[in-house]
Amino acid sequence: MRCGWGGGTMRGCFCMSEEHARLPPAARLTKWLVSGPPFVYLLLFFAAPGLIMVLASFRFPGEFGGLAPFTATDPDALQGLTLETYRFFFSDFIYTEIFIKSFIVALTTTLICLVMAYPLALLIARSPKKSRDLMVLLVILPFASNFLIRVYAWMIILGPQAALSLAFNGLLGMFGVEPVRLLFSPFAVLVAMVYVHLPFMVLPLYTNLERHDPTLLDAAQDLGANAWQRFWRVTFPLSLPGIFAGSVLVFIPVMGMFAIPDILGGTGDMLVGNLIKEQFLGTRDWPFGSTLSIMLTLAVLLCVWIAARLGGRRRYA
Amino acid sequence: MWRGLLFLLCFGNAQADDVLHLYNWNNYISEETVQRFEKQCACRVVQDYYSDNEEMLAKLAAGATGYDILVPTGNALESLIRQKALRPLDKRMLPNLKNTNPAYLNTPFDPGNRYSVPYAYTLTLIGYNSEKLRELNLPVDSWAVIFEPRYLGKLKGRVTVLDSQRELLAAALKYLGYSANDTDETHWKQARDLIIRAKPYWAAFNASSYIKELTVGNIWLVHGYSNDIFQADLDAQNAGRGFRIVASIPKEGAVLALDSMVLHNSGPRPDLAHRFIDFMLDGRNSAELTNLIGSGNPNRDALQYIKPEVARNPAVFPGAAQQERLEMLRDLDRHQRRVLSRIWTEIKLR
Amino acid sequence: MRRGVWLWTAALAVYAFLYLPLLIVIAYSFNDSRLNAEWVGFTWRWYGVLFHDEDMLAAAGNSLLIATVSSLMATLLGTMAGIAMHRYRIKTLTFIVMAPVAMPEILLGVSLLLFFIQLLNLTLGTLSIMLAHITFSIGFVAIVVRTSLAGLDESLFEAARDCGASPWETFRHITFPLILPAVAAGGLMAFTLSIDDFVITFFTAGVGVSTLPLHIYSMIKIAVTPEVNAVSTLLMLLTLTLIVLAAKFAPDALKGKG
Repeated sequence: MRCGWGGGTMRGCFCMSEEHARLPPAARLTKWLVSGPPFVYLLLFFAAPGLIMVLASFRFPGEFGGLAPFTATDPDALQGLTLETYRFFFSDFIYTEIFIKSFIVALTTTLICLVMAYPLALLIARSPKKSRDLMVLLVILPFASNFLIRVYAWMIILGPQAALSLAFNGLLGMFGVEPVRLLFSPFAVLVAMVYVHLPFMVLPLYTNLERHDPTLLDAAQDLGANAWQRFWRVTFPLSLPGIFAGSVLVFIPVMGMFAIPDILGGTGDMLVGNLIKEQFLGTRDWPFGSTLSIMLTLAVLLCVWIAARLGGRRRYA
Repeated sequence: MWRGLLFLLCFGNAQADDVLHLYNWNNYISEETVQRFEKQCACRVVQDYYSDNEEMLAKLAAGATGYDILVPTGNALESLIRQKALRPLDKRMLPNLKNTNPAYLNTPFDPGNRYSVPYAYTLTLIGYNSEKLRELNLPVDSWAVIFEPRYLGKLKGRVTVLDSQRELLAAALKYLGYSANDTDETHWKQARDLIIRAKPYWAAFNASSYIKELTVGNIWLVHGYSNDIFQADLDAQNAGRGFRIVASIPKEGAVLALDSMVLHNSGPRPDLAHRFIDFMLDGRNSAELTNLIGSGNPNRDALQYIKPEVARNPAVFPGAAQQERLEMLRDLDRHQRRVLSRIWTEIKLR
Repeated sequence: MRRGVWLWTAALAVYAFLYLPLLIVIAYSFNDSRLNAEWVGFTWRWYGVLFHDEDMLAAAGNSLLIATVSSLMATLLGTMAGIAMHRYRIKTLTFIVMAPVAMPEILLGVSLLLFFIQLLNLTLGTLSIMLAHITFSIGFVAIVVRTSLAGLDESLFEAARDCGASPWETFRHITFPLILPAVAAGGLMAFTLSIDDFVITFFTAGVGVSTLPLHIYSMIKIAVTPEVNAVSTLLMLLTLTLIVLAAKFAPDALKGKG
């Protein structure tokens, strides 16, 4: 450290903790210099695209794709703003149905992830400090493979000639049941969804469980609580914030997923993500695609909000 | 690997001068043909693939540029011409154009062939595993085998259909006795109901990997493109499987897709593109395409070079009676596209 | 100890669930058969095929270029954002930095596609992918940097100020060296995210430019050969190295991921 090294002018304020209002002009400049570039960048490439998407949902589709021109020289041409796509969305139940179906898939995935992640997170949290880091690393490592590769792995495993399918169908055959196809089925979609998102559940759960005070459990034991009661009355309620964080991290990406149903799904596996993708990269209906995207945003926010409220109430109940 | 990557990063642009960008259907040109063209023109061919016209149109609508050559089917060609996305051909640079069979010129999609020359054609038809279908004793001359539960009962989980809104709808419409270009919504709804009724018996909607599934023997019956079925048959023979993959044109009729070579506006090298088109119009090269990938051939000069067993294949060269029943798809407008997408959603969801 | 046994069994089952599929991918990259079905014999062939696949190498080159540029930019912007979030607690900044991290990827991809085409009239390609990757990486870098700043001892800065160091000098000689590991870890994380990203790239790539994940996707969709397994195995090794490096620089950073 170079103490007493020149008394330069006040050019920056990286290490000051004064209130903004009391910042000298030069420091205020620094504040803008530091926060300005990332802010402007995200305003331009995150907020503006979001706004464009909202606007696009009120436009007409172009004859060949894209959006119809806002103002056209031909008075008969479709132009200006419209609620058409929203009317189309609500005109019948099918699109709501797709949202409900995606919600069910996302919820199921979240629950399965929770059931699988909880024992693992608990074990890691109660292991000696030395081995914890390694155990956590082992959960993260599958992340080292590309998302598509993890999906592709299941394509091999569930293939009709793979050992798993042969064994499973052999078992079914013993009971006289028709063989089933594992690949290209809702089952395949669900397995891959769980597989891809499982670490998102383990990590927040572990972070939460690790912080629990072990003396609480001792106290419960002294009061005569058995192992199950100790878990259900002490550990589980305390871990609710971790469960909530993990569930959000799993639920949100699953709601928007399109690649997994695309690769592993069968004849009926269409989710919201697939529908949105199709509007942009198939049907060339950008306004409707934008409407669906906005609906997805709202649906996700709504779900997270409800979950947060439920979680909040449970904690104090 | 790193040296190779560095090389590409540093010198990738240096040779960009002589590169032809081709945006083609997957499985629609053989590696040998491409290599011979590269040698002849001393250039490099970079290919991108699509498996559905709609996909290609959507990607272009989303601003994809830099393609010298596209290979759209008639209806997509029509749409591309109307949106002024194509560059007119310079026929002085295409001396081999004289080889093309006039029956495939001057289509309603591009009168006078200002923008397009025929490349090849395919049919969308039924492909099946010869052994399995013979054992099961099912009719293979009708779309009924794809759509009727009484036949599908024996084929549960062994059937795939194309993951293409237009193609699947066309097959269903044909089976119902309508035109493949029917745009009457009540007819579309009948087709939808037919598809939804048959769907539980199908394994998947699939646009490309059914070739491999047929070869392996997982899938016994497909609704697919004639050249893909040809490919699956070749693969099955090479792998020494005990069966053939056979194509059949349903008696109700089927879709004929005449694919043409066109120049995209954004292509930087129209000169190379013209050379490529003329190269493909040469009888030998055109014949090689047919011999290797099993596409139909609109080139008169090519016929003499085509292998007899391919020339006899009715899925490659349909007879006059069968040709009567073939239909080319027309383009849909934005309203029809949205309605079709809604029907498709319903099909996928139910 | 009965409960411990149960926990261990369940946990081992989960570990097996996590690792078996990847081991199978790796094993089949050495399988001497075009079809990923039965085991035929050992071969290096697919790695040979891979190194002669020009499209694949071009896609890999693109991925590296995009990841390098976008992670550098994201590290710069993300570090600034992290410092600003820690120092000034600007709510709007925090929101706009965190939101891209929290929303479904497809929404970011779609809105950027609309934005590039409709407003900027930009040809989709390498540039649009880079801009998109920077957008979603800034948040991750910022989180790591902010976490690291929060863990620093404030008295250090007071000491520096008491010694007469200007704020810039304090930053230059004290803050920056202290958060450097976090900055490096954030940068590596941004690099990994960029190399791996599929969904957002899928929407912002147009067709002419491919990246490794896009190329793998089209291979999976069109023709699957063990070449996909070979490239997967190599990619796993690469990302693994990066993760281990990141863990070395800032062990806590990884836990903040997601």
